[in-house]
Amino acid sequence: MKRVPLRPLARVLKARKDGEDPELIERENLARRHEEMRDRQRQRAESRLVVASIFFALAFSFVGVKMFQLASVEPAEPQIAATTARIVAQRANIVDRQGRILATNLSTRSLYAQPNMMTDPAASAQRLAEIFPELEAEKLLKQFRSGRTFLWIKRKISPEQMQEVHDIGDPGLLFGPREMRLYPNGRLAAHILGGASFGREGVRSAEVVGVAGVEKQFDNFLRDPANGGRPLELSIDLTVQDAAEAVLRGGMKLMNAKSAATVLMDVYTGEIVAMASLPDFDPNERPRPLTEGDAADSPLFNRAVQGLYELGSTFKIFTAAQALDLGLFNPASMINTRGPLVWGKFKINDFSKYGPVLSVTDVIVKSSNVGTARIAQEIGGERQKEFLGTLGLLKETPIELVEGSHIKPLWPDKWTELSTMTISYGHGISTSPLHLAAAYSSIVNGGTKVEPTLLKTDEVRPGPRVISAETSAAARSMLRQVVTRGTASFGEVEGYAVGGKTGTADKPDPKGGYYENKVISTFASVFPANDPRYVLIVTLDEPAETSGPEPRRTAGWTAVPVAAEMIRRIGPLLGIRPSLEPLDEIEVVDVRN
Amino acid sequence: MSYLEYSVKRVPVGISKIFFINWPLVLLICAVAAFGFLMLYSVAGGSMTPWAEPQIKRFIMGLVLMFIVAFVPVYFWRNMAVTIYLLTLMLLLLVEFFGITSMGAQRWINLGFMRLQPSELMKIALVLVLAAYYDWLPLNKTSHPLWVLAPVALILIPSYLVLRQPDLGTAILLMAGGGAVMFLAGVHWLYFAGVIGLTAGTVFSVFASRGTDWQLIKDYQFRRIDTFLDPSSDPLGAGYNITQSKIALGSGGWTGRGFMQGTQSRLNFLPEKQTDFIFTTLAEELGFIGGATLLGLYAAILIFCYSSAMVNRDRFSSLLILGIAAAFFLYFAINMSMVMGLAPVVGVPLPLVSYGGSAMLVILIAFGFVQSAHVHRPR
Repeated sequence: MKRVPLRPLARVLKARKDGEDPELIERENLARRHEEMRDRQRQRAESRLVVASIFFALAFSFVGVKMFQLASVEPAEPQIAATTARIVAQRANIVDRQGRILATNLSTRSLYAQPNMMTDPAASAQRLAEIFPELEAEKLLKQFRSGRTFLWIKRKISPEQMQEVHDIGDPGLLFGPREMRLYPNGRLAAHILGGASFGREGVRSAEVVGVAGVEKQFDNFLRDPANGGRPLELSIDLTVQDAAEAVLRGGMKLMNAKSAATVLMDVYTGEIVAMASLPDFDPNERPRPLTEGDAADSPLFNRAVQGLYELGSTFKIFTAAQALDLGLFNPASMINTRGPLVWGKFKINDFSKYGPVLSVTDVIVKSSNVGTARIAQEIGGERQKEFLGTLGLLKETPIELVEGSHIKPLWPDKWTELSTMTISYGHGISTSPLHLAAAYSSIVNGGTKVEPTLLKTDEVRPGPRVISAETSAAARSMLRQVVTRGTASFGEVEGYAVGGKTGTADKPDPKGGYYENKVISTFASVFPANDPRYVLIVTLDEPAETSGPEPRRTAGWTAVPVAAEMIRRIGPLLGIRPSLEPLDEIEVVDVRN
Repeated sequence: MSYLEYSVKRVPVGISKIFFINWPLVLLICAVAAFGFLMLYSVAGGSMTPWAEPQIKRFIMGLVLMFIVAFVPVYFWRNMAVTIYLLTLMLLLLVEFFGITSMGAQRWINLGFMRLQPSELMKIALVLVLAAYYDWLPLNKTSHPLWVLAPVALILIPSYLVLRQPDLGTAILLMAGGGAVMFLAGVHWLYFAGVIGLTAGTVFSVFASRGTDWQLIKDYQFRRIDTFLDPSSDPLGAGYNITQSKIALGSGGWTGRGFMQGTQSRLNFLPEKQTDFIFTTLAEELGFIGGATLLGLYAAILIFCYSSAMVNRDRFSSLLILGIAAAFFLYFAINMSMVMGLAPVVGVPLPLVSYGGSAMLVILIAFGFVQSAHVHRPR
């Protein structure tokens, strides 16, 4: 800033010379400086005012333009868009191998109250109790008057109920959108699907969480919005599953069985095409777990996966197959079947006397315990344990069910020689029907290991070899002969060349020992035997076929006819063409005569 | 230093002051208030109760107060400014300890005959004290850092107390209004640029930190800020008011549905329809034309204040007028932007229109100061 000196010496001297008052100069300069300062200040104030007025003008036009815009646009109701948008990204569907719906979502409504907004709590409580008979008017009224500002009345209500509640006309009764899991096929595949319930609940939506079965196993997948609504594809075939369940239900009733289970498995991929356990439940109304008694008696119990049973003589084929594969015997080798086989204080007996010797094939066909035990003695415990291990019979299956992941077969800690003999015909070892199905698949499919799965698989990836292809063919031939001339003669289904092995095991008494008249009867079958496609396991718990004078409990009379009926029904559904089996195969193998 | 004291010879005295009142401004105020009475009458479903009648009574009382304040010489107010400021600050502290809680916020103090909202009083007191401060401060010290700090403290202390109540809207009004007076007083623009830059930088870094390891605030706080800034992301929750008011504005269209024909407000879709959101009723019933008219009236009030300040050679008077005009402007600008979804919802009423005692009285008293400065201007 350039300042004019208040008392410029030259001017003061000049003024003195002229006789003027030099003080005047100072005052004059001072006044000029003040003026300058005020001018500057005024200028600045004015520029500030200009800035402020520009700001005001801008703000005014901004507000005015927005008002103009709002006035000229027809407003959309945003609520609708918001509620539907919420539902899109919900839990994915579950479909069967053909893409048919097994589990989907249904939008319903929840009902809640805000008592402080209610006009007439007493009348509303009365009306609500009429609409929902399970509610009590007094209790509701007490809750309305308890001073709470929010309370749930019903979590899921139908459209009709919603209309009725709406008609009460109380502003304090409010509805929230609510997603719920729906199983349109009811009980079908209940144990596989499991069920879902609500997790965290809010007024505007509730979280659906899987509580059992694949719903729980694949909970993260089903909830992941990144999948973009891609459904979970199971290996189950809806029609086959339905037929299998229907036949099993009828068979269970006919055979007076307490419970039943079945597994139908693709022998090459290990895909479970159908799996059922009876009694079952409706996943839409999943029952509560039993609080007392044996959990295995609950309908929630999946007998095909969780149930560990001594599956009896069905195990004999493993012994025979191993012996053939090791080259210890051929199918025609003669085995000493003279009984009883005494080992220490134990005696091994046969169901009936089969004579002194039988070929290996006939040991299977006639189901001789003594013969199988003798074959197992030749194999030895160590090799037997290793072989059953490779078949997956000694550990958990990799099945994609939360219930099944920890189900480990029971077998003796000490694999003694006696255990070796009893295990060779399926006693002293407990596995689930699912374990059995996977092991049978590995034996009959040409000898490669199969792991069970519930997910649809497109490609066949052969597992490691378990037995040679020749042994597998021989095993199939034996199984086929069990049906054509052995214990499973009721299993013949024309055109499907069923092969299989029966198993009847006494049920263990929890008090020790075995029951006299309670058995688990099982039929493990493969069809068609000459060109294996599927393994079917049918297990009946405590069956008793009563058409004869005495109740018959053996698998041949109980599980086998049920399995045969099932194959008769599901064979066409699976697209297997009935055909005549080539005769030569049997003749080549059966060289006994 | 003001030259008011030694040039008051031609300032009117006694009852003749009434001829020097800025009458157009009084008329404009009455016109805006009349808009408010109409709307309150309509919102109540065509009834003077419960809102229109008390509002009219309070308006008349406020007008009387305005004239009383206008008749008192403006230098008296200048000399009282600090006292008024300190008294109001004490009242704010009293609210802190003895306040009445209403709608979740502690803002009121019960005087027995009426409930007082000291934060409203503070709006004028702050403008008064700042105008007096810059009148007292030698011009060459205006931008001196030390002399800038003092008014900043004068602004921030009451703002903090109001924010604690909590009343974000009033706190923003206080800070923005105080800042406006400082700006008009000629404080160097770099200070303002600094404050704005610092605020923007803070906001930016908070948002930039989102999702990183050094996140400055919690996730739920972010979500709250999200709905605060963009209410349409939660149309049924935090954004409910905005959603409904936008519908009301849109359904009003150009000419509106007609007086007393609004559905949004009448059918109780809108909460706070008689206070902060009264503009939606107006826009729905009287349409764009009604809204624009109100906006025009507000603009006219500002213009009259502005020209009055321009001709006033007294620094205190012109700063007082402009400060009050700026506060008044902030009031309705924030309210309208909020209602139209341009600004987040903070509780700011529409001046002279919204139902509410304290705000109405305070605005009329503030215009009393404007009139006093206008009447007693040096001639």
